[in-house]
Amino acid sequence: MKEIYDLGQISEEIIKKLGSAGAQKSSCGVTCREKHEFNYTSGDFSLFRTLFSTSLSISAIKDQKHGAASVNRLDEDAINTAVADCIAAAEASEADPAWDIAPLTENAEFINGTLEPDVELLFERTRELVDTIGKKFPKIVIEELIASYSVSHSVYANSNGVRYDSREGYYSISVDFSAHDGDKASSFFYSFALTPTLDKPFIELSSIEQDLADIEKQIDTRPVEGKYVGTVILAPGCLGELLGSALENFASDPRILDKTSIWIDKLGKQVASPLLTVSLSVKDDRLAVTDDYTSEGFRSESFNVIENGILKHFLLSLYVANKTGLDRAPNDGGACIIEGGDKTLDEIISGIDRGLIVGRFSGGQPAANGEFSGVAKNSFIIENGKITGAASETMISGNLADLLMNVNSISKETVCDGTSILPYIAFDGVTVSGK
Amino acid sequence: MLEEFIYEAGDLFPTGSDAELRVQRSRNRAVNIVQGNLVGNGRSDASGTCARVRRGGVCGFSSIADVSKEAARAVLASAVDNADFMDSRLSRGKGAYPVVKGAVLNESWEVSDPEQKYYVDFLRALDSYIIGKYPDLASRGLFARSECIEKVIATSFGTKAHTTFQRSYIYVQMSAMTPAGITVDNLAILGGWNEFDRNFVKPEDFYEKIDNLYKEVRLKSEGVYAEAGTKTCILGGDLSGMLAHEAVGHTVEADLVIGGSVAAGKIGQRVASDLVSMVDYANVTPFGMSPLPLYVDDEGVRCTDAELIRDGILVGYMHNRDSAERFGVTPCGNARAFAYSDEPLIRMRNTAVLPGKSKLEDMIASVDDGYYLCSTNNGQADTTGEFMFGITMGYEIKHGKIGKAILDTTISGVAFDMLKTVDMVSDTVTWSSSGYCGKKQQMPVSLGGPALRCKVNIGGR
Repeated sequence: MKEIYDLGQISEEIIKKLGSAGAQKSSCGVTCREKHEFNYTSGDFSLFRTLFSTSLSISAIKDQKHGAASVNRLDEDAINTAVADCIAAAEASEADPAWDIAPLTENAEFINGTLEPDVELLFERTRELVDTIGKKFPKIVIEELIASYSVSHSVYANSNGVRYDSREGYYSISVDFSAHDGDKASSFFYSFALTPTLDKPFIELSSIEQDLADIEKQIDTRPVEGKYVGTVILAPGCLGELLGSALENFASDPRILDKTSIWIDKLGKQVASPLLTVSLSVKDDRLAVTDDYTSEGFRSESFNVIENGILKHFLLSLYVANKTGLDRAPNDGGACIIEGGDKTLDEIISGIDRGLIVGRFSGGQPAANGEFSGVAKNSFIIENGKITGAASETMISGNLADLLMNVNSISKETVCDGTSILPYIAFDGVTVSGK
Repeated sequence: MLEEFIYEAGDLFPTGSDAELRVQRSRNRAVNIVQGNLVGNGRSDASGTCARVRRGGVCGFSSIADVSKEAARAVLASAVDNADFMDSRLSRGKGAYPVVKGAVLNESWEVSDPEQKYYVDFLRALDSYIIGKYPDLASRGLFARSECIEKVIATSFGTKAHTTFQRSYIYVQMSAMTPAGITVDNLAILGGWNEFDRNFVKPEDFYEKIDNLYKEVRLKSEGVYAEAGTKTCILGGDLSGMLAHEAVGHTVEADLVIGGSVAAGKIGQRVASDLVSMVDYANVTPFGMSPLPLYVDDEGVRCTDAELIRDGILVGYMHNRDSAERFGVTPCGNARAFAYSDEPLIRMRNTAVLPGKSKLEDMIASVDDGYYLCSTNNGQADTTGEFMFGITMGYEIKHGKIGKAILDTTISGVAFDMLKTVDMVSDTVTWSSSGYCGKKQQMPVSLGGPALRCKVNIGGR
């Protein structure tokens, strides 16, 4: 990546400018990024896109009043405007002793992934994936495919002397697709993978091949008969989304700050099945991504948000931690990891009398108390221990808090898309409503 | 304001290629108060230049975070290189797009940009009103934001257009406890097109809407679970707008049609009852200015209305220049890009179900056992037309009268099946314009509609 700016020098100057403008505490993050992206839409390659971008985010605390500003240019005029905006925002605010910045511990430089792209190979890997899908999965229609490489150089600095310098580069592939046979069609699905190298064909990454195979089996569907309470297996992608909703509803800043979380008094207590440990990891050899420092300037650390069913942490910013007296989250969210269990997916299915495997959940934002309902998309019907067809027009509902307590089993198989590692998990007590 | 120097950049456009050049500035202001704490307080400003060049049927695109003649020259050269890269490897051998008339227009203006203190003070005034009048709330939150997008667009076919897009909102959220100790919440969205200091002049102008929100959340705290199953429902304007956008609109975006959506091959076929008509409006509707008026798209095509359903018959799709060429129609300006670094995609603008002749009160009175569904917090739909909307405010209808409020639930159905069950359409359209549509890029859109009486699946507990 060609860099025309000295990010280290810019960040030092900004901290000085903020100090001169009256900020007692300040921080800034400055980034240069380059992205190369191939798009395949409407049945053909459509676009090759190259982006050169910069960004600057600054934050100031003046007389314990907080303000923030961001711009995407790094010339002197843009920086001066951002500094003035940031200070004006702080001055318009109200003093709150909870605002603070990270202390100096140990400054560091980080390099992750691949810093120089092989654009030619990226194009060939993309064309190879399109060809492979056409040959192996003839009923699949690609609605949109995006293959990209993104490289960035970031510097974080604050007025306590914290300095981090980070360079990272990754390839990613995302595919939106559906299966068709004459007038009949499956629901759409999407697969994603992030990888530091192009060593392997894209079809071998994440669950892309399995997803394509599953969707081809979902052209012919039938509604579930009636309404029942049964066992629902959430596929890894779907599990990640619902788990994310649960953590957002019960453990995130707003719900802890306004005390409406139903987990508000559950730290150190059982909030999930003892089978369940949810780790938010910042580094793992199986993952493509590494999270070295937080957006607030702390070194990132892995932690278990739920450990053997016990709630160990809320996901709090420094501000809300100071406001509530609770601990700050050791990272910004990290990569979600749930290790595989002791049964294969087939063994889990064989133990279910009546239920579903849900590939995608299309539902409203769960309520504050965790109540959820939505359509089970890309789903298979389980009857008497066997998959008996694909489901349509079938809704599932329940409560996220109850769901976490009702883990039936966790599959040995896991899916790693480069940003998370998740198994299939079977949950009991889910209401399934068909026609 | 942005300078219009790219209008003079015609000699930079590569000979024999379709090319677009755009400079853009996007400004956002935001303030967030949660439970009396000012947790968000910031301003952002992003500007840059981009170019797209089409050669041999494939496109190259490039963008840079700079606004200057040098930046214009650089992104055009990079876009040409990218188009050549693709053309050399794919050799599609396609010619230029059919000629469209360039749009020469100026719909820009110097927007006011109030200081951050204006936002903070206005939110504080509303927060003080809420906590003073309604101390029994479990929680409250207010979020103010202003979004301004200014663009200058020049194309190889003569477009020279300068536009300003400006909207601003305050979101008010309230939570209350049910007798069982469960938290329920609801949201009111204030504001619309225009600058923040024009939409929000006096806090007291909004007290009535805040009072209504409080009444709703109190009713909801005494609410009941909806009974699951297929029910006769009155979908309020928010819901029919969501239906127009999510369940129908996306399936008639031509790129998704080509990808095999349920609307493929259905032009001229009945997809809804004859009471249903639907249009994606550009800048003026039969009932006033579009909530988010658009005059030119990011391919440089002048925006005109796209008629989608007329009296229940599917009559059109939404296009960019590429799909319009494939389908042999004239594009209506649906190719939109969000950030300066984004390429234009087929997107909706102001999508609405057209009003009918029924009165809402008559529609409610006609339902013996069903629901009146008023508010939604999100919606998703499949290319098969199967949709799901989250319901955040609704009421039972028993024997033609509004009954108890219901707790959050979900409705679902298959759009072209459900629309055939529509047998009453109200005479008043309501719009919502604060949201974004997600499709690779986010995009500001508005959606609207009248109340519809129909049959729909509702999720219970």
